[in-house]
Amino acid sequence: MTRPDPTTSVLTGSAGTPVLEVDDLHVEFRTRSGVVNAVNGISYSLAEGQTLAILGESGSGKSVSAQAIMGILDSPPAVITGGGILFEGRDLLTQSPEEQRKVRGPGISMIFQDALSSLNPVYSVGYQIGEMFRAHRGTSKRDAKKHAVELMDRVRIPGAASRVDDFPHQFSGGMRQRVMIAMAIALDPRVLIADEPTTALDVTVQAQVMDLLKDLQRDTGMGLVLITHDLGVVNEVADDVAVMYAGRIVERGTVDDVFGNPAHPYTEGLMNSVPQVEAKGGRLQPIVGQPPNLAAIPSGCPFHPRCARRRLGADAAPGRECATDVPPLRLVVPGREAACHYSEEVLGV
Amino acid sequence: MGRYIARRLLLTIPVLIGASFLIFALVYALPGDPIRALGGERPLSPAVVAQLREEFNLDDPLVVQYAKYVGDLLQGDLGTDFRGREVSETITQRLPVTLRLTVVAIAIETVIGIIAGVLAGIRRNGFLDNLVLVSSTLIVSVPILVLAFVAQFVLGLQFGWFPIAGINEGWLSYVLPGLVLASGSLAYVARLTRTSIAENLRADYVRTARAKGLPNRTVIGRHTLRNSLIPVVTFIGADIGTLMGGAIVTETVFNLPGIGRAVFDSVQAQEGAVVVGIVTLMVFFFIFFNLVVDVLYAVLDPRIRYD
Repeated sequence: MTRPDPTTSVLTGSAGTPVLEVDDLHVEFRTRSGVVNAVNGISYSLAEGQTLAILGESGSGKSVSAQAIMGILDSPPAVITGGGILFEGRDLLTQSPEEQRKVRGPGISMIFQDALSSLNPVYSVGYQIGEMFRAHRGTSKRDAKKHAVELMDRVRIPGAASRVDDFPHQFSGGMRQRVMIAMAIALDPRVLIADEPTTALDVTVQAQVMDLLKDLQRDTGMGLVLITHDLGVVNEVADDVAVMYAGRIVERGTVDDVFGNPAHPYTEGLMNSVPQVEAKGGRLQPIVGQPPNLAAIPSGCPFHPRCARRRLGADAAPGRECATDVPPLRLVVPGREAACHYSEEVLGV
Repeated sequence: MGRYIARRLLLTIPVLIGASFLIFALVYALPGDPIRALGGERPLSPAVVAQLREEFNLDDPLVVQYAKYVGDLLQGDLGTDFRGREVSETITQRLPVTLRLTVVAIAIETVIGIIAGVLAGIRRNGFLDNLVLVSSTLIVSVPILVLAFVAQFVLGLQFGWFPIAGINEGWLSYVLPGLVLASGSLAYVARLTRTSIAENLRADYVRTARAKGLPNRTVIGRHTLRNSLIPVVTFIGADIGTLMGGAIVTETVFNLPGIGRAVFDSVQAQEGAVVVGIVTLMVFFFIFFNLVVDVLYAVLDPRIRYD
């Protein structure tokens, strides 16, 4: 097993010591109708105070990899078949379930997309936030509630003291997501994984929630893994971005670099498929075809059936045939990795 | 909440009037003459028959009979059977037996049913799950009479753990009939709990509870069980009424002098006053426990408010 060396990381944002390292992680779902390869060897590292965006469409494996890190995969059917997840240098996968549990909350914590279904409808928000203190620190019921009010204040829920006994359904969508955030940051985690935290929210509320996350990150210095398919959100808050396709990372680098000049045709396709102010009036170019079936990932480069730049047969350079040779994630230019045989062409260097 | 309960209780009045009239009419419609049957082999003299018919208003039209019955009822008089025994006395004597039987049955189906359901639900397709599946299918498909005799033979005679009939040994006498009475519902409660738990374990908020690093017993006991019990509580509440009705067979097999047996005997003897009095009481219990369930809903699920 090779571990990414933090000092030689291509990610310019990861100058500090990494708190979270994911190393060649593989996850598959063993179902009755066959094996689904959801995550096929992804690696990244996250430093304190760094924000890494993981970008990809539905089914690209971004949420599954996050759940694997949290140790909350539904298994069966999900099985981690290889790799390592290092938190503060220790591999979580070799630890006992009880040790893993103790990391969830104070070490790594997570917020989910749909706060309404992710909060338990039958307990008050104060109870659910306070539970973090009671379960991990043995705090008394009364003190836990006091902490809950403080946290609700901190995530800017108006009238926290009077709303602590309210139930999730009595809050608006944005306020519910703040409750989720309050719960996740309760024990000052070193890493926060936010899985599509703003997808279910109005645009104006989205901005408020992202601002809140950034402010909290600045105060606590936690690392933030932001899982999203929203290019706008990535552009605003992330330092680095990793683009996922078919369970693999196909490109990564700083947000400015990747968005400014993609090195992978898939990233390029994503950029062309969203409206841009400068290109007003022009036509959007969707990526043709369907996302791959993870039970039958195409041979060679998994993106080749949809790729406008693919080279097949005699057109291809030796050992770089898109339908047969799997492109490794490689350093293309300093600070940028991409998994395409022809990244230099895509970049135009 | 208080106003809601008061309104629901007021609503029981028309239901009780309707139910009692229906039962009254059904008894009235039964073929045969109850008075003539009283004498058995030796026919009663026409004068006695006429006197009894007069006393019990049997020659009046149905509506008039019913009106007279309700009139007495409003004065707290439930009437008498043909032998002159007060119906209210029959009820006070026999109701405790049936109530005890129902309490034992509900306790058995709730405790064993929920525990079996939870164990099966958290390990779907595991050994316990299959055990619960097989045994509950078996229990549901065997007629209650067969079950009663098997229980009497094995647990009562072979092992000698429990008395097989009568009520002479206190609560112990109720264990076998309670078990038999509860068996069908017990199987159902186990299956319902199992499905509900298995479904809720996949809920987003259970995933959140795990992501919070809560210990497994908290994830199951607090974040899964309570939400899963909502349909189970509904069933058990409605089942209390059904069990009191089902007690008719069980009380006969186990020779328990409860109101189920009283109804059975009275229907055969066409004792209108007794049947109407007891069945209307059962209807009231049924409505009452449904109200209790609705109130419990609001306790279990704060999203439900009755205002």
